[in-house]
Amino acid sequence: MSSEGFPDPDPGTTARSAAGNDPFAPLGVTWTPVSPRLVTARRLVLGVVALVPLLAVVVVALLTGWPWLLLLLVPLLGLVGWLFWLIGRQVRAIGYAEREDDLLIRSGVMFKTMVVVPYGRMQYVDVEAGPIDRAFGVARVQLHTASPGTDAAIPGLVPEEAARLRERLASRGEARLAGL
Amino acid sequence: MTESFPPPDRPPASAPRSLSSFPPPQGEAVGLPAPEADGRWHRLHPVTPVIRGWKVLAVLLVVLVQQRSDDLFRGGGLPGGVELLITAGALLLGALLGAVWAWLSWRMTRYQVAQDAVHLHQGVLFRQQRQARLDRLQAVDVVQPLLARLLGLSELKLEVAGGAGSEVRLAYLRDAEARRLRNTLLARAAGLKYETEEAPEAPEQQVLSVPTDRLVLSLLLSGATLWGAVIAVALIVAVVVVGEPGLIVGLAPVLIGTVGATWGQFTRGFAFRLAQSPDGLRLRHGLLETRSQTVPPGRVQAVRLQQPLLWRRVDWWRVEINVAGYGFSQTNQNVESVLLPVGTRQDAMTALSLVLPELGVDDARHVVDQGLSGATAAGGFTCAPRRSVWVDPVAWRRNGFRVTPRALLTRSGRITRELAVVPHERAQSLALTQGPLQRKLGLASFEVHSTPGPVSPAARHLDAPTAAALLDEQAHRARVARSTAGPEQWMSTRTSAGDHEIPVHRAQPGDLPREP
Repeated sequence: MSSEGFPDPDPGTTARSAAGNDPFAPLGVTWTPVSPRLVTARRLVLGVVALVPLLAVVVVALLTGWPWLLLLLVPLLGLVGWLFWLIGRQVRAIGYAEREDDLLIRSGVMFKTMVVVPYGRMQYVDVEAGPIDRAFGVARVQLHTASPGTDAAIPGLVPEEAARLRERLASRGEARLAGL
Repeated sequence: MTESFPPPDRPPASAPRSLSSFPPPQGEAVGLPAPEADGRWHRLHPVTPVIRGWKVLAVLLVVLVQQRSDDLFRGGGLPGGVELLITAGALLLGALLGAVWAWLSWRMTRYQVAQDAVHLHQGVLFRQQRQARLDRLQAVDVVQPLLARLLGLSELKLEVAGGAGSEVRLAYLRDAEARRLRNTLLARAAGLKYETEEAPEAPEQQVLSVPTDRLVLSLLLSGATLWGAVIAVALIVAVVVVGEPGLIVGLAPVLIGTVGATWGQFTRGFAFRLAQSPDGLRLRHGLLETRSQTVPPGRVQAVRLQQPLLWRRVDWWRVEINVAGYGFSQTNQNVESVLLPVGTRQDAMTALSLVLPELGVDDARHVVDQGLSGATAAGGFTCAPRRSVWVDPVAWRRNGFRVTPRALLTRSGRITRELAVVPHERAQSLALTQGPLQRKLGLASFEVHSTPGPVSPAARHLDAPTAAALLDEQAHRARVARSTAGPEQWMSTRTSAGDHEIPVHRAQPGDLPREP
């Protein structure tokens, strides 16, 4: 039996994290939030997308002369308003933490996710920024492992922080590189 | 065209460049160690374009037959003399063009086996130069499609961890060449120092085989066959009731699809044999197209044991694996990922033990038993709490996990039972997820991300603090396990762990099992 070096999977010793009620807030982890500029960028995109149905309703109401069609605007505006509010919460929910051997990323308000990516498992790191992202000065860092299931992306980083994170992940990954 | 072709790093007096000097005269090759692996550039077997070109002709014939049969049905009768001539001419032209193209493509394909990598250059218009590092080798397959098999040729596939389509395919080589090359590559990838001229073939020991009657019965007991039968019966009833035989035409494609899929599973699983060797697992199977796979130790990323509902009475199981090079697609039948198409519980456990010799617990059999068919905390399983019935009313009792010093076992599924096993050091990343309903109930799901393949291990709807603790511990265990894991070159030793012994195997005529 070559079980030396492995921690004993005794359920009694497992209460290291999750002392609180929230499983997404392990003890001793300081989360770094992403830039609030991501909120503005995402809200702008939402605004542009929402403009299409809103305008369509107005135009159809004007052309047909049925003013009661404008009532449709109420649920539409309600939905847009809710999404507007949700974006703020979603962005505030995104956080990452660099631990000694792995990177933690959490996200989601309704559907929460927390991913642990060991540095030694990273195959490559992408830094991406679309035109709107660039206008607001944010970038997105995506980590790739050998598994397509790894959904580890940090959107809304300030470009300097994105570059720093990329360099740091690359150097840490090299130091801990393992085979598959 | 040929001017730019052999790359500049190619040694001057090397591989034959003209057709007339290939294959090399037998006299030269005698006595040289593994002539394919001498570090020079080689071409594939000259019959390759014929086998490839045959496919073009077959496609043309199929198209033609379809066109003609339409005409025949419409009462057009047999085509006249001129038309026949034109058709024959077109066919001939198509076949000729196909042959020329296949020959060109053969001319442009060369491979080189260096000490630590295999290089493959190919492509007529779009050139491709591919290099596969041997220390990243995930599996080596020898595939023999029917026609190639009749001609004594094989295709050698080197899988590296780039997912589907990343492999280096050497098609076609002579059978003996392909085997010799496979042995050389495996020996080099293993870091094996051999004293003989040729790399020895690792001795293998057959562990499991699937009898044909069991395979047939297992396919008859599968969901696809059941649906096929239901459709067929419905069809017959409909035809009798309505009195309109034309209905058959409407549903025929579904039936043909079902029968085709089942037939495919039968031919792929036919004569399935699983053997063990120092080079890793050896899998042999196939009726028309035969396949001989070698998966070196430590290349299996995750294992799944699965039992469809209809197999429960006979207690049969199917075992599938994730191997980084094999990749995975939902539509494609993943031939390569099957470790055992059907076997008894004992067979499945044997297969699992080949992949993961030690779970690190004394009562491994009991633990696996509970994972396969248990639904309680027996065997050390941590179960999903009773309140998870609200999110998973059918299978909630089965959801659970067991951590051993070596691996994580997750069980799930009540209709189709499943047990997934991941060695700690093979987890790529881990995740914890929670939906709104789960949050209300204080539940969370735990996932392990493995390389692409049929297995995606997860323990769903656990008690939230338990899931969080599991995430934290698994991250720690994976880290410890990685640092003590065996070397990539499975027969070389790490300087830190000197307790391994380098097996030096000398080929002896007696110890090689006969290949069919």
